[in-house]
Amino acid sequence: MKRMIVRLSLVLAVTLVAWGTSVNAATLKLAMDADPVSLDPHVQLSAGMLQYAHMVFDPLVRWSKDGGLEPRLAEKWEQINPTTTRFYLRKGVKFHSGNELSADDVVFTLARLKKSEDYKGLFEYFTEAKAVDSHTVDLITREPYGLVLAMATYIFPLDHKFYSGKDEQNGKMKDVIIKTDYSFANFNESGTGPFKVTGREQGVKTTFVRFGDYWDPNTGNVSEIILTPISEPPTRVAALLSGDVDFIMPVPPTDLERVKKTDGLQLVTMSGSRIITFQLNQKRRPEFANAKVRQAMAYAYNNVGVAKKIMKGFATPAAQNSPRGYQGHNAALQPRYDLARAKELMKEAGYEKGFSCTMIAPNNRYVNDAKIAQAFVTMMSKIKIKVTLKTMPKAQYWDQYDAQVADIQMIGWHSDTEDSANFFEYLNMCPDKETGRGQYNSGNYCNPEVDRLTLAANGETDNAKRSVMLRSIEQILFDDAAFIPLHWQNLSWASKKNMNTEEIINVMNFPYFGDLNIQ
Amino acid sequence: MINFLRRLRSSDFSYYFFRDPIALVSFAVLLVLVVAAFSAPLIAPHNPYDPTTIDIMDSELPPAWAAEGSRNFLLGTDDMGRGMFSTMLYGMRISIIIGLGAVLLQAMIGIVVGLLSGYIKRLDSILMRIADVQLSFSTYMIAIFIGATFQMVFGVANYEKIAAPLLILIIGLAEWPQYARTVRASVLAERQKEYIEAARVIGLSKVRIMWRHILPNTLSPVLVISTVQVANAIMSEAALSFLGLGMPQNKPSLGSLITSGFEYIFSGSWWITIFPGILLVTLILVINLLGDWVRDYLNPKLYKG
Amino acid sequence: MFAFTVRRVAQAVLVMLIISLIGFSIKHNFGDPVRELVGERVTPQERQQIRDQLGLNDPFMVQYGRFLKSAVHGDLGRSFFFKKPVTEVILAKAPATLELVFCASLIVILLSVPLGIYSAIHPRRLLSRLIMGVSIVGVSMPVFLTAILLIYIFSVELGWLPSFGRGETVQLFGFWDSGLLTRDGLRHLLMPSVALSSIMLPLFIRLIRSEMMEVLETEYVKFAWAKGLRPRRVWYVHAFKNTLLPVITVGGVQLGIMVAFTILTETVFQWQGMGSMFIESVERADTALMVSYIVVVGFIFVVVNTLVDLIYGLVNPTVRIAGRK
Repeated sequence: MKRMIVRLSLVLAVTLVAWGTSVNAATLKLAMDADPVSLDPHVQLSAGMLQYAHMVFDPLVRWSKDGGLEPRLAEKWEQINPTTTRFYLRKGVKFHSGNELSADDVVFTLARLKKSEDYKGLFEYFTEAKAVDSHTVDLITREPYGLVLAMATYIFPLDHKFYSGKDEQNGKMKDVIIKTDYSFANFNESGTGPFKVTGREQGVKTTFVRFGDYWDPNTGNVSEIILTPISEPPTRVAALLSGDVDFIMPVPPTDLERVKKTDGLQLVTMSGSRIITFQLNQKRRPEFANAKVRQAMAYAYNNVGVAKKIMKGFATPAAQNSPRGYQGHNAALQPRYDLARAKELMKEAGYEKGFSCTMIAPNNRYVNDAKIAQAFVTMMSKIKIKVTLKTMPKAQYWDQYDAQVADIQMIGWHSDTEDSANFFEYLNMCPDKETGRGQYNSGNYCNPEVDRLTLAANGETDNAKRSVMLRSIEQILFDDAAFIPLHWQNLSWASKKNMNTEEIINVMNFPYFGDLNIQ
Repeated sequence: MINFLRRLRSSDFSYYFFRDPIALVSFAVLLVLVVAAFSAPLIAPHNPYDPTTIDIMDSELPPAWAAEGSRNFLLGTDDMGRGMFSTMLYGMRISIIIGLGAVLLQAMIGIVVGLLSGYIKRLDSILMRIADVQLSFSTYMIAIFIGATFQMVFGVANYEKIAAPLLILIIGLAEWPQYARTVRASVLAERQKEYIEAARVIGLSKVRIMWRHILPNTLSPVLVISTVQVANAIMSEAALSFLGLGMPQNKPSLGSLITSGFEYIFSGSWWITIFPGILLVTLILVINLLGDWVRDYLNPKLYKG
Repeated sequence: MFAFTVRRVAQAVLVMLIISLIGFSIKHNFGDPVRELVGERVTPQERQQIRDQLGLNDPFMVQYGRFLKSAVHGDLGRSFFFKKPVTEVILAKAPATLELVFCASLIVILLSVPLGIYSAIHPRRLLSRLIMGVSIVGVSMPVFLTAILLIYIFSVELGWLPSFGRGETVQLFGFWDSGLLTRDGLRHLLMPSVALSSIMLPLFIRLIRSEMMEVLETEYVKFAWAKGLRPRRVWYVHAFKNTLLPVITVGGVQLGIMVAFTILTETVFQWQGMGSMFIESVERADTALMVSYIVVVGFIFVVVNTLVDLIYGLVNPTVRIAGRK
């Protein structure tokens, strides 16, 4: 027993000493709502994986804070014919494995993207990448395509030497993409990014250490990042308030004020681009096939009130899909809350006495999703539409959504292409199982004009013409009240004051931690 | 009726009851709370379940005495713009119904299973293992499963109507094994005693022995558990709403109100967290103090020995 | 004794089989695991393909048969999310939960025994009433609220204790990550254990008090008094010893149930144990992990109950353990 005590106190003493000296100025303790599901950037197309990719890999080009594009691994680019864009790669860029970046890595990466279940849809228009010489590569599309550069932000070159050959552990090729099981790429990485993964306990913490041979000398001074997932928002906030972590994202709306007011902390928010909507199912509910009823509901919904009260100003009220800055954003369309007009429309439609309907919404998918849904129910009751609401966790929600079990269903959408047409393709075009269009159109709104214009816009490379088409689609959807747009969710980051948080964040919600400077 | 009251007044029960100030106060408080909860539609200034009366622009108003408070809402409003006072009264009613209902169901299943497995050897193993299986499927999983099944049968439209009975069923089904094991333990202890031997010798039936002789003597631990279990059942509902599986959003129970307090802990809107918390603690406290008192009273040896 | 053990082992296996069968038959209610694996723009057809590859579209009996077959070899399947065998995941997470439950039980026992005895000996004193009253506050607050309040007071306002996670751990025996041996680990352990014990404490205090009061009225305690023994001896040796029996039976099960209660505590404290793993597996419809967790919990219940029955038999020789004739 005595020996045990001696040993225990020794352990204690050692840890105390270690604890006292391990103060490292440039270590960033980061807490997010989840951690990357894999080390393989192609295994899932999700915000979390892209945030990870920006730490460990580098894209050819990346979004700048103002929505423009800035060169990364591609120093410059040019369009050499309508279907070919040539990228000139930076020289002397090293992968974490020590290999040097070459055009072959880009060729390998695009081929792998086209094999990935998640990315192949995005890269549908691309046929291949061709190496012209060791540091020049052509991206070739099937037909003229307006979004080549936007797509290049998704090309994070992988070290093709590192990922080729057979892996001994499972006897499969190292570059194989496996979602549910061990694969070499799921547990090993070699990118060109500012950080290397040195330790990973999934769901507990991931340790990133700065890559010594990083090509970009003008970057931040963070030498180590310890990423901890903290799923409960109040706990995440508490961790920041108590100083246990230095940087959190996202910040829940209820705590924005508290973080802002706390000494030594800074809060950065930004208008986001994820639209939240309600879809009114015309097939389930004949009333919703009547445009007047839909318009009445749009007039009865107080976007501005919800954004102010429930979202605490953490949302931008919306009257259309496309946020400001998108080609399709139609500045003329404004939230139209007007209860008197709504009642009038209900009367004109012959539903003065109202009707009952059902609604489902997730309760852990979007910011304050269940509360917004509840506020919607309250507002609809003012025009005598009695809505029965059921909210449920997202794991159960999507099956129900697909089965269209309720008359009104909530969905949020973020355009992966940063382009308006993406909204229309998934949310507003006539549902078609063959082409996959309207895959998330549970309202079953179907307007041939919208379909025609969207397809025409996709083939249009003249940005001015394209913008006119996309804006007219928004107008049609608004006039028809095809769905009820609520707001765009804002983005938020909070950190200690001694870092340049403001400069590393952007509307895509990919903080560039490589550029973070801690004083 | 008058006769009964007269008898009650002269009984030991009331004698001890009126001599114990804590029991008296607890009972009075409980009475006030229960009456307030069940006459909520009469007392409450607003009907929080009627969406037409709610305005989102009223949300998160502080209590009436604070600088920005509104006279309309004595204890302030919650995130939806419902008056806290009215919502708490309505919510307490649901919580009491769920708490009592679930405990009643648990106790019924648990006592029957516990008696059978304690007294009839052949059934013991199988019943106790069923209890183990049941316990492994925590309330959480049962809630998802039963919730999904019922939605398939009744559809989304009837969801609000069946939500409360559904939660009683879920919590009742999920937590009966605790009763069963407790009752079984006391039955095992009781069945060794002489009076049971005696009852068996004079040829009483098994049912009669179990029901009339063993059961009354196991009630003391059952009572101890019950008062705590009422609290637990209300907590289970709160926990389910924390996980997104509780009462519907627009019919909050006291538990779900407290759940929303979780989000508001750092926000400065303290009334959203504190008031339902105080009410719930008071409710549970008086139930348990009364429970303790009844237990002491029911244990005849203590006072009359 | 041997026959008893064999029988219980057989029962444990049966319980686990039944649990896995039920778990398998209801797992589709928890959502589509593929949905959680892919991004939103993957088409329904592609999702179907992935489901086919994973064998999720096979008939129920085929899937269950496959599960049983590999379970015989100790393989309970693979977690989609962790991309590892579930046994590996659960083994890695179990120490966190067991240490948490252990510490919470320690707090419960250390507090409930003296408080319970005191309030049984002096049932009408103000302090006893206070003990009973205050203890109930713990149970009348949802554990997630207790947890966040603790964090608010001790981490955010006072800055005394860390707000989340397990802190520094030391690996023992090659697989057990223990937080009990470092100062940092213990500091992290404190608040979660207190939060978890707050639910069980009032029940234990009440149980001990109620049983003890009953024992104090029995003949042999009266006899002990009559013999002129000192009060301390009567209370602690004669009376308390006999209180233990029911406390063990009910309490043992409650401690088992505590494993299930860790779910919320772990979630709020971001404590990486089996509880939060389970919640996440349900949220991601990671069915293999989910089913394995309940099978493991079922096993724990059978073991705890067997131990309780054994101790019960040892402490009270008049109760015959089934099978020892």
